[in-house]
Amino acid sequence: MTPPRARADRRTRKLGELEAGSRAIVRRVSGEPGLRRRLMELGFVPGTPIKLVRRAPMGDPIELRLRGTHFSIRTSEADRIDVDPF
Amino acid sequence: MSIPSELAEVESKPAGPAQVREHPPPRSRRKLVAIAGGPNCGKSTLFNKLTGLRQKVANYPGVTVEKKGGLCALRSGRAVELLDLPGTYSLRPGSPDEVVVRDVLLGVQADTPLPDLTLLVLDATCLDRQLYLCMQLMEMGRPVIVALNMMDTARDEGLDIDAGLLSRALGAPVIPISARTGSGIAQLRDAMDREIPPPRPVTRRLPEPLREGVERIEKTLPPAGPLAALSRFHVAMALLLDEGEDDSLIRAVPIPARREVMIVRTRLDAEIPDWRSHEPIGHYHAIEELIRKATLRVKPEVSLRERIDRVLTHRVLGPLIFVLLMAVVFQSVFMWATPIMNAIDAGVSALGRFIAPALPAGPIRSLVVDGAIAGVGAVVTFVPQIAILFLFISLMEDSGYLARGAFIMDRLMRGVGLSGRAFIPLLSSFACAIPGIMATRTIDNRRDRLTTILIAPFMSCSARLPVYALLIGAFIPNRTVGFLSLPGLVLFSLYVLGILAAVLVAWALKRTALRGSRPLYVMELPPYRVPSWRSVLITVRDRAGLFVQKAGTVILAVSIVLWFLASYPKNSEVRPLEKRLEAVEDGAARAAAHGSVAEASAKRAEATQLENEIAGVSLRDSFAGQAGRLIEPAIAPLGFDWKIGIALLSSFAAREVMVSTMATVYNLGDADQTSVSLREKLRHAENPRGGRAYSPLMAVSLMVFFVLACQCMSTVAVVRRETNSWRWPIFMVVMMNALAWIASFAVYQGGKLMGLG
Repeated sequence: MTPPRARADRRTRKLGELEAGSRAIVRRVSGEPGLRRRLMELGFVPGTPIKLVRRAPMGDPIELRLRGTHFSIRTSEADRIDVDPF
Repeated sequence: MSIPSELAEVESKPAGPAQVREHPPPRSRRKLVAIAGGPNCGKSTLFNKLTGLRQKVANYPGVTVEKKGGLCALRSGRAVELLDLPGTYSLRPGSPDEVVVRDVLLGVQADTPLPDLTLLVLDATCLDRQLYLCMQLMEMGRPVIVALNMMDTARDEGLDIDAGLLSRALGAPVIPISARTGSGIAQLRDAMDREIPPPRPVTRRLPEPLREGVERIEKTLPPAGPLAALSRFHVAMALLLDEGEDDSLIRAVPIPARREVMIVRTRLDAEIPDWRSHEPIGHYHAIEELIRKATLRVKPEVSLRERIDRVLTHRVLGPLIFVLLMAVVFQSVFMWATPIMNAIDAGVSALGRFIAPALPAGPIRSLVVDGAIAGVGAVVTFVPQIAILFLFISLMEDSGYLARGAFIMDRLMRGVGLSGRAFIPLLSSFACAIPGIMATRTIDNRRDRLTTILIAPFMSCSARLPVYALLIGAFIPNRTVGFLSLPGLVLFSLYVLGILAAVLVAWALKRTALRGSRPLYVMELPPYRVPSWRSVLITVRDRAGLFVQKAGTVILAVSIVLWFLASYPKNSEVRPLEKRLEAVEDGAARAAAHGSVAEASAKRAEATQLENEIAGVSLRDSFAGQAGRLIEPAIAPLGFDWKIGIALLSSFAAREVMVSTMATVYNLGDADQTSVSLREKLRHAENPRGGRAYSPLMAVSLMVFFVLACQCMSTVAVVRRETNSWRWPIFMVVMMNALAWIASFAVYQGGKLMGLG
């Protein structure tokens, strides 16, 4: 992989935009306070490593691995979570 | 103490043993143990193991959340009362289930005393996120025992946990168990027998304004009352963080405390906008450290689940397998149940015939045979479908497949504003709405569940088929349209109409009655497990038993009322007919005795005709018949006469009763939907003006009515049971019947305008 491309990959993005099989670190959770707290309680706190395992057959929702558990989450909801791919 | 400028040490002040001992449980009361834990942690399996078959299921007042209780015998000869709480991620509730969990654990749930002990079940194979609830519980200042479940599986997967270290770090007994095999259960029982001290106060660092705010709220809390046995720190944090979902906690504290909570929130919002994140971030930091210390061996990431998931959630194979599996489930509910249901029907009829001679002819016999026994039969016939559907659902749920199915179907169901979980209940409703509505229990979001319950009866169930078959057979010409047969096309359209109505109503409900903040559709995809037959069978038994108990009583009562309406008042015209019947029967017996076979069979045929006529006259002049005439003006614009009115009213017992009612009204006894004479009768029936009473247009209008109307008392009863209120079933009946009337009106009047009538 060429360096410029690698740099582009490292930019912060929305969780829902990750490719299947890629890993990232949670950077920030945004949105309305109640939902935000809920996502954090589920383990989406900044600094947590996360893996997008796969997308559902119709592209949405996505399967995530986080803190040893697998979750299904809709991309619209995953997009509240900013991640740093690595 | 050296404290960073913005951080200060906070000591939570739990009630402490001294204060707890002030209110010891009265001698007569058994120790109450609440079982808490995350979804899929094996909580229910453990509950089943501990209580055996001695369980009681009820509802918490005013909500749809189920309350499961049972007794657990201990080695000392004593017993503790167990309460199986719904699965929960956090004590800061995000759903009605979690509100109940919090209220029970904090002792503010109206019908449940503060538990003496909390048994927290953790799945050892994925401790991390589950420790979140554990951290919150430890802060609460009440005695806790941790059951580290699935330790055997964890070790098989190469993971090892130091239970002793975990116990020392948490300050609570940690007992490794396997709810499935039963290992460690004896130690768990013994631990429940002991007096468990509350965990030592937890130290948490909070930023200064938050620490000060919490302290200010703590000071306003009363020294006695419902929350006094808990850590003040925990109560203050709970009051501060619980916003939205409900107000049962805030109502448990006096006005000054409520006011203080509002003031502190406003101040914190201004000073540290991110204050709400502090609890999750703090807890997770502690959890990470704990896991690092207590994990002896880490499990490899690629495991069995990944290999299975590659197939079951594959882009092409996944949906294919799901569709095949659903076909099997649907066929089973539809087909396997049929012979059992027929056997039950036959059994009920035989029972009626067996009991009838023992009772004096007349109203008592009729009440017992046609009212009570038939009513019990109406209840029992649903049991096979419910049992079969729940057999599949609990197998899928316990194995972990149900969540994969929801994962696959979510995108499709979102079109209707629902989630993937709504698919199976709706599919089952094509067989019967009763098991379908009961299956909505797997939908965790309240609004989605209610929406699914309310649209499930629009799916054309098997009880509508005889009605469709009769009307299509009588009025729809057997022609081909292109390569399709017209009757087949009409039948297909009826199914599509039901689905369209469901989509439309779901869309409307989501924008009106069930509007609300967008819920979070986060769903755990649990690891695959071999289901325990014991648990599966207990679920099936519970579901069927609850239906019989809770919905069955309503169905039985309505059956008896319907029997009464169709049997009374007794008509004066019946008497001479009965006299004639007796004479004819005597004649038949005489003829048979004289050996004239032809005459005997002719007499017998006449007797049957007379019997049918008596049944017809009685029904036509009964209260039901009068009601049919009464509603005629309301249904005339739909093309229906009063005889169909009677059929509509009596089909409230079950839709297929419409067919036998029409047969009785037209003096045909109990002809079924395939009966040629009944079809002929309907085709050639005359109205009072001498014209044809029914036309193909009326038949279409009537079928549209049957697709949309809520004419099933069992559905009403089961919705009552599943929503724990009369509000939703009444809403459903009004909504569906209004929709049915409007649609049939449009079909009939529109058709007439186009010259089709």
